[in-house]
Amino acid sequence: MADLATDVLVVGSGAGGAITAAALARGGRTVTVVEEGPWVDPDAVEPFSLQEMEAKYRHHGLAAALGNPAIAYAEGRCVGGSTEINSGLYHRLPDHLVAEWRTAYAIDEFSPEALGGYADRVEHELSVAPLPGAPPPSSAALERGATKLGWRNVEFARVFSYDAQGRGTKQTMSRTMIPQARAAGARIISDCRVLRLLREGDRIVGARCRRTHSGGGVERMTIHADQVFVCGGAIHSPALLQRSGIWRNVGNGLKMHPTIKLAARFPHPVDHGDVPTHRITEFSPFVAIGGSANRKGHVAMALADTGAPFAEALADWENISVYYAAIRSDGSGRVAALRGVRSPLVTYSLTEADVSRLARGLVHLGELLLAGGATELHPSVVGGTVVRRLDELGGWWDQVTRARANLMTVHLTSSVRMGEHRARTGADSFGRVWGYSNLRVNDASLIPDAPGVNPQAAIMAIATRNCDHFLDVT
Amino acid sequence: MLWFEREVVGALTESPDQPLRSSVESFVDGSLRDMPEHLRAGVAAESVLLGTYVAALRRAGRLPEGDAQALAAQLDRWEVSRIGVLRQYVRMMKSLVYFAENELAPAGAA
Repeated sequence: MADLATDVLVVGSGAGGAITAAALARGGRTVTVVEEGPWVDPDAVEPFSLQEMEAKYRHHGLAAALGNPAIAYAEGRCVGGSTEINSGLYHRLPDHLVAEWRTAYAIDEFSPEALGGYADRVEHELSVAPLPGAPPPSSAALERGATKLGWRNVEFARVFSYDAQGRGTKQTMSRTMIPQARAAGARIISDCRVLRLLREGDRIVGARCRRTHSGGGVERMTIHADQVFVCGGAIHSPALLQRSGIWRNVGNGLKMHPTIKLAARFPHPVDHGDVPTHRITEFSPFVAIGGSANRKGHVAMALADTGAPFAEALADWENISVYYAAIRSDGSGRVAALRGVRSPLVTYSLTEADVSRLARGLVHLGELLLAGGATELHPSVVGGTVVRRLDELGGWWDQVTRARANLMTVHLTSSVRMGEHRARTGADSFGRVWGYSNLRVNDASLIPDAPGVNPQAAIMAIATRNCDHFLDVT
Repeated sequence: MLWFEREVVGALTESPDQPLRSSVESFVDGSLRDMPEHLRAGVAAESVLLGTYVAALRRAGRLPEGDAQALAAQLDRWEVSRIGVLRQYVRMMKSLVYFAENELAPAGAA
């Protein structure tokens, strides 16, 4: 068994972990990052492709929160985590949520102004920019529909850098913070799963790990650490804490943005290599409308959901794009590590209000796309009406039920909430896990509730803030 | 991948192209193997139960032996079942197959 020692052990290398590693290594700490997934060259596979699912997704993207209905979810599992597989959309945490959460969870030094300062730093370091030039057809349809209906809409910036020809490169963690962490002396160990943390009193003294080598060999490792940051995301951070015997307010209160989709057919070709950057904010914060990955495989999956024959539509797939309505949910879920089982059990309960909100979101999405020029809409609802006219949309209100709606999400948060309100949180205002002097969480788990927008910006700003605080106090 | 799962993948794959069919089967096999264990256990249990049920239907002459279209029609009926796990089983298998078949098909193929 190999033994390593480090000042700071960071578990996970996604938006939280990579930012933590870079900030602490630059702050003069000896940092070791352990990532369960492999290193994958960011240019090796096409975005949103089947090959990407095999190389970078946890469980090939085939995981689900159990409940009525089950909700499929996807996470990254590679160096860089979910930043390697997401759309790169970037949206600061809305100010009213920051103020609301500061009060509800008694979060110290948590204000729109303070977080704004950290967001400025992140945006400067990562290159957050809007798409140059005119929007592609799939995005323009959203903008056109919103303009016609008089609905508010925004073209989101993304964590992308663009060259003079307008070609964009997503600034994933493997392209940005991981190299910066390395340059500052951090060691990155990929293909290495942390089995459990080693506790002594109120301290974590290290981690027991299992590393898989490229030839298939397996090596047991113990990493001794003075400080530990768990940054495995909202599912795997609480699961690791639980496997290590830490359960207090850990894993409960999981939040997500349940999402329903549709395939929209246009009388002209649409783009398929990327996701639309326009979002409809008219119904924020409870319903967000936007566009999704829409390669041919995604189009086929979306067309199939009604159960009606779709061969004729699929033959016209180049004119079809996939869109979504995502909601802020009143429901919540739970992550529970199961003894002897590698993957945690994830459950989520939708409320009746959530189901109603999803129906409302789908109907609004339909209105928008018909106004934006779509001629045929196929909802992700078994037996759902394929809509061609506005007056047909009303049928969807009754068709979006627990039994018939096909739901998914890519935004998971809030499983180790932060704040000084000890009855409601698993960690203090800066991510230190209650009851432990040197154990911190620094990822989406800390966000007290689903933000109603892509949480990547919030994760990055909060992680940066927590690292500053850590460097100040230790 | 269990025998009934292989049969379901075969029934849902539309292309007659054998290398493509094999690639789809291989992708679905890899995805099922990589699922969270408790979900995989549930799916495997369903596959055994449904496979047994289908075998019984065939013995009773209510489902033609070796008829992929008949099995696909049976899957369509299960997709609107009142039993949640049955609906989810069919949706999952369809999603995997349709995604893989359309992503793996050579560009320009129908």
